[in-house]
Amino acid sequence: MKLAVVGCLVGGLLFAGTQDSDLNVNRRYTVDSVIVAGKGWRTNVSDSNDRLSNGLRKDLLALVGQKLNPRVLDNLGDRLKKEFDAREVTHHILRADTPDHVQVEFEIKPAGTNIHATLTKLLYSNKQGLSGGGMVGLTTHGNTFLVGLTSDGDTLNERFTGVHTRYENKRLGTDRLGVRFDFETYHEQWRGETLAALASTPGITSDAYRTRQNIQPVLTVALAKPLNLEVGASFERFGTQGPIANTETSNAVLASLRYHQRLVESDYPQDVDAAYSLRAATRMLGSDFAFASHTATLHYRVAHGRHKLTESVTLGGILRRAPLSDRFVAGNSYYLRGWNKFEIDPIGGNRIAHNTVDYRYGPFQAFYDAGSVWDSGQPVAVRHSVGVGVRESVFTLAVAFPMRSGHVEPIFMMGMIY
Amino acid sequence: MKNSPARDRGISRRSWLLAGLTIPLFKLRATEQLSIRYDGDVIHVTAPSVHFLSGKSLERLKDGAAVAFVAQLDLLNESRVPVRQPQKARFVVSLDLWEDKFSVTQLGKTPRSVDRLSASAAELWCFEGLAMSTLGVPPDQYFWLRFEMRTGSPRDLEGDLPQGFNLRELIALLGRKKSEEIHWGPLETRMRLADLPRMQGRGMRG
Repeated sequence: MKLAVVGCLVGGLLFAGTQDSDLNVNRRYTVDSVIVAGKGWRTNVSDSNDRLSNGLRKDLLALVGQKLNPRVLDNLGDRLKKEFDAREVTHHILRADTPDHVQVEFEIKPAGTNIHATLTKLLYSNKQGLSGGGMVGLTTHGNTFLVGLTSDGDTLNERFTGVHTRYENKRLGTDRLGVRFDFETYHEQWRGETLAALASTPGITSDAYRTRQNIQPVLTVALAKPLNLEVGASFERFGTQGPIANTETSNAVLASLRYHQRLVESDYPQDVDAAYSLRAATRMLGSDFAFASHTATLHYRVAHGRHKLTESVTLGGILRRAPLSDRFVAGNSYYLRGWNKFEIDPIGGNRIAHNTVDYRYGPFQAFYDAGSVWDSGQPVAVRHSVGVGVRESVFTLAVAFPMRSGHVEPIFMMGMIY
Repeated sequence: MKNSPARDRGISRRSWLLAGLTIPLFKLRATEQLSIRYDGDVIHVTAPSVHFLSGKSLERLKDGAAVAFVAQLDLLNESRVPVRQPQKARFVVSLDLWEDKFSVTQLGKTPRSVDRLSASAAELWCFEGLAMSTLGVPPDQYFWLRFEMRTGSPRDLEGDLPQGFNLRELIALLGRKKSEEIHWGPLETRMRLADLPRMQGRGMRG
């Protein structure tokens, strides 16, 4: 009964539409120019400028010469708000100098003091149980302070529960520089499979720890428009289990290079995301662990109408002994969906190779995962899984099947993944 | 000291002052009354004091936006309990930026539209579109007629837009900050059908 009521409610909302648009008499007029204005600046999108991203600028420019479409303006306003991290973006339509032409003007109101709440993760999996996290934050004059709670049994081989706080300023004097400071403190829970694997293979990684704290300052530098560099450090401390309280540290330097390019000119808009990240723990920083973890990812997405195809590749390797929280895990909601991570490797591996092909038609999704997590020197077992579901934005509802002979037990996942 | 004539009659200066202050309020109340027209079948109202194409809604229209309005008419008994289903009328108004004239569409099963109206003519056209049937209403009983109006939200327009499964629009709809809702009224008037003058040329029932 409850489900029926919720279904009717959601169904009713699904049929809701947007206001305005088709009933606006000004649709007959042609857009002459598009202006974007912020606090102390104003730009015509027809002029070259580096205030707007290429993709957004092209979409704004595409309005010029077309009949006015108010519905499109709402969407572009939302994108401007996101790009400028603004409090509000409004648009005004004014008479242009040419008869029967109008000028569209977007006004960006910068964020003042703003309190916000974000759900960082909400996922139910019939194998890993419920994982969730949320943050509340205060943003004032470009400075964001966040505090949140997390209980995550999905991402790693441990369930970590605790508090995450963050300070962030995305524009440190200039648009090209940002800073982020994270502090996390978690209490860990371990499954029997992991503890048994640790006991049978000592020395591969850290022991199971009871608590984990991390302090992580990071500086972000926009090298060029599609290329971002992050450099920082991570000071991680593990409170070990057992009758004698002890701590181990993993202090590392961090660096990552991220490239994002959006090609929107054709009927087949494409996105390319490439990233390389390095986490190098060194005894020079007083770390008990000394290792180097390299990860490279590539995402390519092509869209045509309601069809979207995404190809994602992840490659990673850890040199020397790293703690459990740094090891690669598959069989969660990101890699080898459909497999049970405790069955693949309950202590994770120091190598990963993974590929995902994801096809979507509107909200409907089908995916194929293939990959492996293993330890160097060990044989590589490539696993495959397929799944279908519904995904819109961060909301996902999927059922995934491991491809293997014998008994196949599907994994059901529902929630919001960011 | 000799008493003033007013004091002789028991009316203090304070009472005079209070009465003086109250007169404008009575005048305001009088201007807020509804004007009712009755043709024997349906009631139409106008509210001369309500100018919904002004202020913030006019600013939004001058920015080139289309603004939705929802008008509602209720018939209540003496205990203020509704005796009929409320009559709702939904309008979408936009201002032609080049001609400086209003365009109005009344939504419903058979939408109707009008162009090139002045503000007052557009308001009057909207009032014309709001009517309540008096079928089954006893002519000799007193009722309260209540009118109110507000700017509309996307949800008010449900059923008048193309239907389809669109989760993206749902997320956008739930996520979008609502524009400020503006209210007019409620304005009420006590009336009896038997007392209402009939418009000529229409049904003469009851």
